[in-house]
Amino acid sequence: MARIKVHELRQKSKAELLNQLKDLKAELALLRVAKVTGGAPNKLSKIKVVRLSIAQVLTVISQTQKSVLREAYKNKKFLPLDLRPKKTRAIRRRLTKHQQSLKTEREKKREMYFPKRKYAIKV
Amino acid sequence: MAPKADASKKADPKAQAAKAAKAVKSGPTFNRKAKKIRTKVTFHRPRTLKKERNPKYPRISAPPRNKLDHYQILKFPLTTESAMKKIEDNNTLVFIVDLRADKKKIKAAVKKMYDIQAKKVNTLIRARWNQEGLCQVDSRL
Repeated sequence: MARIKVHELRQKSKAELLNQLKDLKAELALLRVAKVTGGAPNKLSKIKVVRLSIAQVLTVISQTQKSVLREAYKNKKFLPLDLRPKKTRAIRRRLTKHQQSLKTEREKKREMYFPKRKYAIKV
Repeated sequence: MAPKADASKKADPKAQAAKAAKAVKSGPTFNRKAKKIRTKVTFHRPRTLKKERNPKYPRISAPPRNKLDHYQILKFPLTTESAMKKIEDNNTLVFIVDLRADKKKIKAAVKKMYDIQAKKVNTLIRARWNQEGLCQVDSRL
């Protein structure tokens, strides 16, 4: 079987990818049996290739799934937890930029009427 | 008007007094619904409304894929001498099987992958990370 090219995989549909996954897994099962029953070396070396291609297909599947889900939730108010930014626990609990910038009416008025003046000394 | 007022005044307080006496006798009206009589010592929470879940967003964006599919369950058959003996004598196949698989899953996996109807499945755990499944095949085959 030819080596799998990931950029070709990305153009396939989900059903095709799942089919390909099934084929690869079946092939892997055969190779594993061959390994146990003393198979030819060319078969044994193929195991690594097949395992990698299975991983590639699964990666493509999950990547496209994630991106589609993000599109679906784009303008919604609440996101599922794994689509929210992960960062660190402490960062997620900090005040947001907007929350930090909020001021009381009193403070706003003060700033408006008594702004910080800058003076220069004329030599 | 004065005498009338007088008379009404006189009548009113008397009427009021009579009303007041009656009220005191019968107790304040909002307590009229009798105080619940409790015959047991314990207090059990009364049945309250239970609403079904209706989340505003799913916690996980998509359900995770099944990681224990047939290919994962049956890893490979055993080909040791004792396993070979079992094939010949007892009509059984011996597989190395995933640790998380149970007998029902093994039966289904064997059926799906090799088209074999297993009559009976025995399992044993070989090491902390793998399991051996012995599938007894139908004697007709």
